[in-house]
Amino acid sequence: MRGGRRTAHGTALFVAPVLAAVAFAGAASAQAPALPGQALAFDRSKGNCLTCHDIKGGDAPGNVGPPLADMKSRFPDRKELTAIVFDETKRNPQTVMPPFGRNLILTDGEIEAIVDFLYTR
Amino acid sequence: MRISRAIAIAVAALVVAGAGPAAAAAAAAAADSIDPDADFKAFRDYYTKRFPDVPLNDFVNGPYSMDAELRKQWEAIDDFPPYDFAIDRGKQMFATPFKNGKTYGDCFPEKGIGIRQNYPYFDDKSGEVITLELALNRCREANGEAPYSYVKDEMASLTAYMAFTSRGKPFDIKIPNDPRALEAYQKGAEYFYARRGQLNFSCASCHVQNPGNHIRTEVLAPALGIVAAMPIYRSEWNGMGTMSRRLVTCNSQVRGVPLEPQDELYRDVEYYLTYMSNGLPVSGPGARP
Amino acid sequence: MRTYLFAAAMCLLTGAAQAASTEADFKTALAAAEAAEQDAGALKNQWIPTEQALAAAKKAAAAGDFDAAVAQARQAEALAKASIAQAKEQQTAWKAGVIR
Repeated sequence: MRGGRRTAHGTALFVAPVLAAVAFAGAASAQAPALPGQALAFDRSKGNCLTCHDIKGGDAPGNVGPPLADMKSRFPDRKELTAIVFDETKRNPQTVMPPFGRNLILTDGEIEAIVDFLYTR
Repeated sequence: MRISRAIAIAVAALVVAGAGPAAAAAAAAAADSIDPDADFKAFRDYYTKRFPDVPLNDFVNGPYSMDAELRKQWEAIDDFPPYDFAIDRGKQMFATPFKNGKTYGDCFPEKGIGIRQNYPYFDDKSGEVITLELALNRCREANGEAPYSYVKDEMASLTAYMAFTSRGKPFDIKIPNDPRALEAYQKGAEYFYARRGQLNFSCASCHVQNPGNHIRTEVLAPALGIVAAMPIYRSEWNGMGTMSRRLVTCNSQVRGVPLEPQDELYRDVEYYLTYMSNGLPVSGPGARP
Repeated sequence: MRTYLFAAAMCLLTGAAQAASTEADFKTALAAAEAAEQDAGALKNQWIPTEQALAAAKKAAAAGDFDAAVAQARQAEALAKASIAQAKEQQTAWKAGVIR
């Protein structure tokens, strides 16, 4: 009984700091450093997405392309969004969006990272 | 008249093909013939329909015709145009004789004054497009002088002065009824619309599909009238830029290795674009952000 | 293609699947890249990154790093080929964008 309660307290004493740590980490990730994909997206020599797209977190965006917001609901299929970044001319032959994959502007890994980032917008 | 040229080509094709099924095939082939007049009309209508509030002559002002805020900034500097020094220098250079005693005026009609609106032209003797920049260097070389760089200030000063002497005159580019001239025009159109560079842009990507939109903070100019203000003082360059410099820079910006200045294709695209601006006023030298 | 290049590059770099690249390997890779870039030049459609990769390949070779040099040369060849494909496609595709 006593042992049980002590055990319960013990567990609570053990669990509480863990929960606190998890809660702290959860709170901290809201202000966590930018995903690697954000740096790639905003880098003029890489994705350079802000040249044409308004993306939250970026400054002085262009407006040639649509704003990149609500990405999870607009692109529930990750493969579709990845394909757009890889080569949008497949979907729209007259697009002005560079084919980042087909023309070897970005590596597959860089595209993955940028798509990860876009899903946070 | 230009419209009848397309018909003339079609008729010629029909005559050659003879009557019957061959004639139909020939007519189809003739329909593919180069028709600058039809292109001109379609090009003009596209921009006037897309921007009904822009007066036709205002297209020569490029991004300023597209964006009121930008225009205010431009008007603010107009009292002290940044290209004035280039006009003055160009006037002085133009008047200075070569070592052999001849002058630039000796190479050009009307002594080189008030003729900018006629360039580029198709030279039927050499079978090529002659731009103003090319003509100036050929003049130098014909008179024992070393040619100037096409992308630097001396060429910019000379063309600034010559443009200034034509300010307000309507562009009057001729495409003679000569298959070589039509081919040069068509190559210019092809260059303008073809994608290039790792970034896969054509000139049309920005200047046909996105005039008035902006990339980062830069407002894109319409292709209609885009050569009218050349050469330009570009704030971004802190200096003057010739037509050659602009084409070279555009290529680099889409990660394409630029051609040599005054490459045949650059002259062809200048021919095409200037023809499309026929009737619009020479407004060079100009200022741009 | 790029997955192949990456795998090949990794094999070269880790030496897992084959021995490290030799100068001969580099010369072969460079010749292929330069030939492709010359073809792109004939089409008046070379890309700046291709030239940068060629330069990087030569620089790495000069420093004796043939693994990196081969990887760069192969990247240059891939870029040159992409620029050739672009030019060839555009020979007809350009018409689709013409204002009518």
